[in-house]
Amino acid sequence: MASVSLKDIHKSFGRTEVIKGVDLEIADGDFVVLVGPSGCGKSTLLRMIAGLEDVTAGEVFIGGRQVTEVAPGDRNVSMVFQSYALYPHMSVYENLAFALRMARMKQAEIDRRVRDAARILHIEEFLDRKPAKLSGGQRQRVALGRAIVRDVEVLLFDEPLSNLDAALRVEMRLELMNLHERMKRTMIYVTHDQVEAMTLADKIVVLEAGLVRQVGSPTELYEHPANTFVAGFIGSPRMNFMKAEVVEASASRVRVQSADIGTAELPIDGAGLQAGTEVTIGIRPEDVDLGGEGGIRIEATVEFIEYLGRETSLEGRMKGGHSITALIEGKFSADRGAAVSLSFQPQSCHLFDTRGNACRRLLSPAGGSPVAVGR
Amino acid sequence: MRRGIVGNLLLAGGLGFIAVIVLLPFWWVISSSIKQTSEIISITPTMVPHSFTLAHFDKLLRSSDFPRFLANSLIVAAGAMAITVVLAALAGYAFFRLKFPGQGLLYRLILVGYAFPGIVVLVPLYGMMSAAHLIDSLLALIIIDVTFALPFAIWMMRAFLVAVPSEVEEAARLDGASHMTVLTRIIVPMIAPGLASVAIFAFVSSWTEYLFASVLIQSDAHKTLPVGLAGIIGQYQVDWGLMLAGATLTTVPVVILFAFIGRYFVTGLTTGAVK
Repeated sequence: MASVSLKDIHKSFGRTEVIKGVDLEIADGDFVVLVGPSGCGKSTLLRMIAGLEDVTAGEVFIGGRQVTEVAPGDRNVSMVFQSYALYPHMSVYENLAFALRMARMKQAEIDRRVRDAARILHIEEFLDRKPAKLSGGQRQRVALGRAIVRDVEVLLFDEPLSNLDAALRVEMRLELMNLHERMKRTMIYVTHDQVEAMTLADKIVVLEAGLVRQVGSPTELYEHPANTFVAGFIGSPRMNFMKAEVVEASASRVRVQSADIGTAELPIDGAGLQAGTEVTIGIRPEDVDLGGEGGIRIEATVEFIEYLGRETSLEGRMKGGHSITALIEGKFSADRGAAVSLSFQPQSCHLFDTRGNACRRLLSPAGGSPVAVGR
Repeated sequence: MRRGIVGNLLLAGGLGFIAVIVLLPFWWVISSSIKQTSEIISITPTMVPHSFTLAHFDKLLRSSDFPRFLANSLIVAAGAMAITVVLAALAGYAFFRLKFPGQGLLYRLILVGYAFPGIVVLVPLYGMMSAAHLIDSLLALIIIDVTFALPFAIWMMRAFLVAVPSEVEEAARLDGASHMTVLTRIIVPMIAPGLASVAIFAFVSSWTEYLFASVLIQSDAHKTLPVGLAGIIGQYQVDWGLMLAGATLTTVPVVILFAFIGRYFVTGLTTGAVK
């Protein structure tokens, strides 16, 4: 087992800097998910841990050993690729055995390990087949098998489920969680799918434009996003944002004024805020109710409604011109342009300062390790 | 796209016409090689042999230098083929899968080498072979044939090597394989159809090479088939039967090669690697 540690990692392709100084500590046995929009550098970061990409500056440690210049095969890591990357001319058995043969393991040991891995992943009956004769899900299992058969310290996953259909994705997600539970190995997983990130991770690392925006547990990221980027990225549908102005601020509450909601008092630590500064209020769609007494009321006009079965997503426009999304339980219908009353509780609100950094929320579980937006 | 009956007939007719043009000379040579000399040189040519004899083959194999020419040609063509395949795989891997300074320039220089016709470099190459004491040796022909086949062979490798997904190679490197192991255990099996094409190309170019074989080889003992067969055409008379029997047997190794390697000309070997 091994921890992974990245120290001030930079990576440039030509003149384009894609990783702009990443420090990251991943504890032994953690399941860490690197998440972010495409082009944020998450795959590059993973490939640098694997040794498939040179590091422009900085250091990579695996299990306390400096491996920045070490060849991929000598890092004791394995990787599952999005495209599976199976050896097409070899049988499933040989695909699994290849790394063990490279390590000059005895045939009896190779056979035992290959069959063990095949049993765990339910691919025993396909051992003699070539990859071309397997379905997508079976190929992905073989790719997974190839990663676990070596019994490495760190397993890396580069969007391994994106080629699978929705049902298979859920099944494989469960399988991955079981695998982590059983192997207790450090796993680093890259995805752009925040549902995958939320369900799999012990710890999520949110990246944007080559920088780490926040590191924390799924709950921390959801409850205490450190900035507007994380707030908008984690959670689906996306968090609603509206501009407001600080009327009065103290360490125990902030009074804000906005064209959308009028005046409201939020249970947020406003110690760093001055009256008159512009802030952003954030409210998750699932925290917005239809009608409702008390709390903060909003009048909006309906733009469109999506019936999702268990709930209805309503998109409306508020007085101040900002749009708002509400997730309403059950079925709800209204005509486009109809007026609706919505409301939310002050303690459900998030507040972000002018630079987009979160102010501490006072009425929900504490935690999170916010990383500032500005460097 | 669906074709009607007329379309199919036109297509079949067109293909049949081309097939006749391509195959007729072969039929002419092969069928004539078993005709008696009088029928071969008769004023009214016969498409289907009226006579039958194996005398030309008998003479060719028993009392001419043909077997020696055939052996020489086989040595030169097989040697050139083997070396070209190995070098093309190595060079192709370096050019299209690795990164090193001067890569693009070097690749272009090699392609430029292919642009020169043999006759242009005949004299300097003769000088070089002479300095290396390789005149009248089969090794000289192998070296020359590899030199001329290699640029095009490397270019042929490009499409096949580019098609190998980089993740497969990366997976092998993570599995602990060296560059050489990646090439021999992963890449080569995946580009086998490409290597088969290169092998056939190199073999056929060497098999049919005349210019350098006629200049660099001086003794009958080291002559290859194209030069040896040309020798059958004497100053005052031509033994057409012998010539046609020789031409028939000359095509045999190429046909056998296609029969063995031709099966690798299948697409889709890379299916199942990714996606």
